[in-house]
Amino acid sequence: MTDAALRPSLLPELELHAPTSIEELTNLVAGGCHPIGGATDVLLSAAHTGNPRRLALTAHVPELTTFAVGPANVTIGGAVTLGQLIRSADFISSVPALAEGAHNVGSTQLRNSATLVGNLCTASPAGDTIPGQFVQGAVVEVAGPSGSRRSVPVRDFTVAPGRTSLGKGEVVTSVRVERCGRLDGSAYRRFTERNAIDLAFASVAARVWLEADGETVKDVRLALGAVGPTVIDASAWAAALVGLCVTAERLDQISESAALGCAPISDHRCSADYRRQLVRVLVAETIELAVDRAHTSNAAGEGQS
Amino acid sequence: MNTPSAQFEIVVNGVAHHVSSGWHSRRLLDLLRSELGLVGTKEGCSEGDCGACTVLLDGEPVVSCLTLCAMVGSRTVTTVEGLNSDHLERFAAGCERTGGVQCGFCTPGFAVMSSWLVDGGTETGDDSDAKLLEGNICRCTGYQQLAEVISSLRTISEDPTGAAP
Ligand SMILES: Cc1cc2nc3c(=O)[nH]c(=O)nc-3n(C[C@H](O)[C@H](O)[C@H](O)COP(=O)(O)OP(=O)(O)OC[C@H]3O[C@@H](n4cnc5c(N)ncnc54)[C@H](O)[C@@H]3O)c2cc1C
Ligand code: FES
Ligand code: FES
Repeated sequence: MTDAALRPSLLPELELHAPTSIEELTNLVAGGCHPIGGATDVLLSAAHTGNPRRLALTAHVPELTTFAVGPANVTIGGAVTLGQLIRSADFISSVPALAEGAHNVGSTQLRNSATLVGNLCTASPAGDTIPGQFVQGAVVEVAGPSGSRRSVPVRDFTVAPGRTSLGKGEVVTSVRVERCGRLDGSAYRRFTERNAIDLAFASVAARVWLEADGETVKDVRLALGAVGPTVIDASAWAAALVGLCVTAERLDQISESAALGCAPISDHRCSADYRRQLVRVLVAETIELAVDRAHTSNAAGEGQS
Repeated sequence: MNTPSAQFEIVVNGVAHHVSSGWHSRRLLDLLRSELGLVGTKEGCSEGDCGACTVLLDGEPVVSCLTLCAMVGSRTVTTVEGLNSDHLERFAAGCERTGGVQCGFCTPGFAVMSSWLVDGGTETGDDSDAKLLEGNICRCTGYQQLAEVISSLRTISEDPTGAAP
């Protein structure tokens, strides 16, 4: 008897396609196939629930393999793995919050398969790359059947746990994020118990722009993960810092607004109250780190990681 | 696959195998173990958590339980059976010396990771071994022994004359 017969894989029989163009991919997806990058989410779902079973690999569509760190933006194609991203020193220094998010997903082995776009499209409120996409001003590029194209700001892309604003037959071709420039720094922090195998209990990404004096906050963005049905844009609470220097009292005030304003649930990981307390701690830490990076961002216009 | 052919080629440990196209949509782990008889690669959790099924694709580690054969593409596969035999012997001796192995189920995964690490494997270029090994779980030994084995193997690889302790 073969080993497979002794211990059959839990996976159902799969139908797998390997399209080589966007048209082919969007047609397959319009016909009910699910696009897969690393399939790390999809295969778990298939093993647990029996679905999805009809899959289309994104890896052979040339446009989806683009990874480019340009002067103002970074373009991350739909099939680019997290491992590819964090092996790039340019990526790490250009978009620190997103690089830290990518580095926190799963394990080394997993990051060599898992994609950033797969993490986004799973649309988990705890998705580690999503808060960083919020603060780095991500725009999601979407292609649909019959050649349609549209661009969606990331905060309009994730609409509910596990749900995106993608329509029938639509796929993500790439995500475009802004690089941090001069006097501009970002950071991501999460708390979890077992790094490689557990999702965030709570997470925070922050981005801070400083005035030429190197002290006064010019602008700030804040995003909270795992404390609401989607990643929460908390920039409005952090706006109390604009025009002022960062002090411990002001950080406390913002942390408190974020902790009270977010919408955590209690689950098997921890209680809602514990999550609020994590937000209090992580917001202050993450903003401070982003400020440090804005301070040290060099004259060439690059943030330090 | 949308362009079905009766067979496809997959290179494992330097040997080209021709396997039926039905394997495209099945797990690399199953191909290795049940079709190619390479049972050194273990199935622990089947969900990407434990690292017992770790193999190298073009020299980079992945979990073969979450890799469909079609996802391998033109990359070559290295399993624990295909690691450098000197490395494997030193790894085994190190595990014996430190108590880095008990039931042995995690050992092939750690062996593959140790080979990758000793060959200079890294992600950001600034990661600790502990960070890079987060995806390998050992329920028996604790991790200190395995960390010690890997750092001693690195010393040997930097000084192949064996002058180092
Ligand atoms: C052991 C383990 C640990 C994990 N740890 C973490 C963690 O710490 N943090 C975390 O955030 N996640 C974690 N995950 C979840 C998962 O690995 C990540 O979400 C990963 O980034 C998904 O990427 P993928 O390429 O594998 O996605 P896939 O499984 O290929 O796809 C995920 C979803 O995105 C869709 N999709 C993929 N590509 C496209 C596209 N181009 N256009 C439209 N839709 C698309 C798929 O149809 C599917 O719905 C973990 C998973 C495992 C198995
Ligand atoms: S069996 Fe693949 S990671 Fe556990
Ligand atoms: S030796 Fe038993 S799991 Fe590691």
